[in-house]
Amino acid sequence: MRKWCIVLPAVLLVFIQASLTGNAPKDKVALGRRLFFDPILSRDKTINCGSCHQPAYAFADTLAVSRGVKKRKGKRNTPSVMNITGLPYFFWDGRSATLEEQALAPIANPDEMDLPVHLAVQRLNANKNYKAWFRDIFHSEATANNLAQAIAAFERTLETSNSAFDDWKMNNNTNAVSEAAKRGFVLFGKKGKCTQCHFGADFTQHQFKNIGLFNGKDLNDSGRMSISGNAADIGKFKTPGLRNIAVTAPYMHNGMFNTLAEVIEFYNDPDKRIPHSINRDTVLLKPLGLTNDEKKDLEAFLLSLTDQQFLQKK
Amino acid sequence: MLAASVLAVLAVTGPDKLTGKWETKPSPKGNVTGVVFKEDQSFDGYVNKKPFTSGNYQLQDSIFELTDNGCNGEPGKYRIIFFSNNDSFRLQPIDDPCEERKNGMSKLVMGRVK
Repeated sequence: MRKWCIVLPAVLLVFIQASLTGNAPKDKVALGRRLFFDPILSRDKTINCGSCHQPAYAFADTLAVSRGVKKRKGKRNTPSVMNITGLPYFFWDGRSATLEEQALAPIANPDEMDLPVHLAVQRLNANKNYKAWFRDIFHSEATANNLAQAIAAFERTLETSNSAFDDWKMNNNTNAVSEAAKRGFVLFGKKGKCTQCHFGADFTQHQFKNIGLFNGKDLNDSGRMSISGNAADIGKFKTPGLRNIAVTAPYMHNGMFNTLAEVIEFYNDPDKRIPHSINRDTVLLKPLGLTNDEKKDLEAFLLSLTDQQFLQKK
Repeated sequence: MLAASVLAVLAVTGPDKLTGKWETKPSPKGNVTGVVFKEDQSFDGYVNKKPFTSGNYQLQDSIFELTDNGCNGEPGKYRIIFFSNNDSFRLQPIDDPCEERKNGMSKLVMGRVK
């Protein structure tokens, strides 16, 4: 019996060590994934990056604005972190020039994870596992720099190109999308004028645009102007990509539209919803004049941009 | 009359020197741009296997004209220069009011995907 008392804990210890080793991240991406979902990076260890960037919603969430530690309310809608490899800048106002710079900002933001980056790094180096993993992968202790590198490396893997639209166009599978989606794609480039901003591999030209959601009163987020200091940028925000847009509601920088139908309705006649907007882009000065069928076709096209991984989960 | 119409259609459709799949080499950032030209003179364009643009084109001798779903539907006209046994091409703008497209197309060097 006494012999078993000695042997059993020893076997358990070996088993636990083996399982920990088995879970050890092998590279930057795997380490970044672990960090992304680890609440160790929030001040009170209650939330992680994935609390707002949820995989089931294309790494966005379902709130107009997300909640940080102690349920603090954020200021803007959480964007998806999928399909961001090609972005020239990050955040709605483009304040970060690199994904690495972006990756650290929510950790330190008092309304989000509220943990100054130097404290986050201290925590990681005080953690036996992370200390070893950073040493294995980066050949150094954790630093702000390699913490950012790891998270960014993980985020760069979140590219999607397996939607019905992709199947239609890349494989010439004409049955992959509905006739409505095909009509919608044509409208997207012509009557809908959507490609004037949403053009490119991820359906964005990465420009800052004022679409008419700034009126200086109840809608008073000045957007890009707060970064550039240029009055011409008032109310401008980065044009988001549209891949997986069907699973990232609500929409716009302030999350004010709950459905794609609402978004299309707004673009069709912006004045009807926001009558006295300031500095709206000239593309949207006149109503588009879409019929109800055309609006449905546009929506069908946008739905066809949803990657299969999200359709299978439903 | 019908026969003449059929002949006229055949004259502008069917395979040409572009029919098939073409891609650039990876850019410094690793991006690969591709185009699939089809026998019906339509094409689909993509970057990194992500399609996003479609349109129609005409190829007559060395003149390549296209319209796509960007650029307000305005056509662009280019001189196409084939090289390497017609397995590669590049484009020189002749007339394209769409500056962004002109800048992009002028830099393209594409090779046939076999």
